[in-house]
Amino acid sequence: MTAAAVPPPSLERAHATIRRGRAISALALLGIAGVYVLALGYTPIEARQGVAQKIFYLHVPAAWSALLAFSLVGIVSLLYLWLHDPRLDRFAASSAEVGLVFAAVMLTTGPIWAKPIWGTWWTWDARLTLTLFLFFLFVGYLALRSAVHDRHERARFSAVVGIMGMLLVPFVHLSVYLFRTLHPQPIVLKPSAPSLPWEMLRTLLVSTLMFTLLYVGLVTLRYGIGLAAEAREEHDAA
Amino acid sequence: MPPEPPVNGGYMIAAYVVTGAILLSYFLSLVRKGRSEK
Repeated sequence: MTAAAVPPPSLERAHATIRRGRAISALALLGIAGVYVLALGYTPIEARQGVAQKIFYLHVPAAWSALLAFSLVGIVSLLYLWLHDPRLDRFAASSAEVGLVFAAVMLTTGPIWAKPIWGTWWTWDARLTLTLFLFFLFVGYLALRSAVHDRHERARFSAVVGIMGMLLVPFVHLSVYLFRTLHPQPIVLKPSAPSLPWEMLRTLLVSTLMFTLLYVGLVTLRYGIGLAAEAREEHDAA
Repeated sequence: MPPEPPVNGGYMIAAYVVTGAILLSYFLSLVRKGRSEK
């Protein structure tokens, strides 16, 4: 498939996408409000860490959503370099921006948990440092996008950076096995069964589901806004 | 008798407030952008 076969951006389609994204995001935010109630009111307090352990129900789903977002940027960027479909580039830009929001949640809730548990806000160990690098790499990705004005060049250059970012994701996940690190090891995404009591696992799974739904909603909304901006640009140029 | 869990609820509240603020403010900024594209 080539770019010529792709329908031109239309304002009607953009507005429908924006409406859909807004509805899904609002639903997911309501779901996350429900997760707050579930985590704070109906999930047991961990004996050694106290209530600060409940930060885990936001930190882990945020990390999952950020890594999912950055992985998808890489995958669709690879596809873009092959197919030159502008929809893939638009999706990659949306996913990178939304991924940064989830990464911001991950990078703020992590230190807030670390202070009472480790006794320090931050330590330069492999997991934390690689995650910070990943965050900065995607900040650079968005900066590059705003610096290049030609649409095709912008898509090509940023696709290469997006693929580089995706390559960092497995190192972030496996860093707790590859290096000596303070960060806890995975308790769900690991070869053996999850090592959590059911009430805690249930809250984590519901939260992960809601964060993933929010990712879908925000990417749809951001995609629609990008589509509307392009439709307007083409309309003004015509 | 098992030891009492540590008292650190302030950190938990801070994390929940910061997460809500980040997610909600980003959502609202996109909603505003979406409206200005009309």
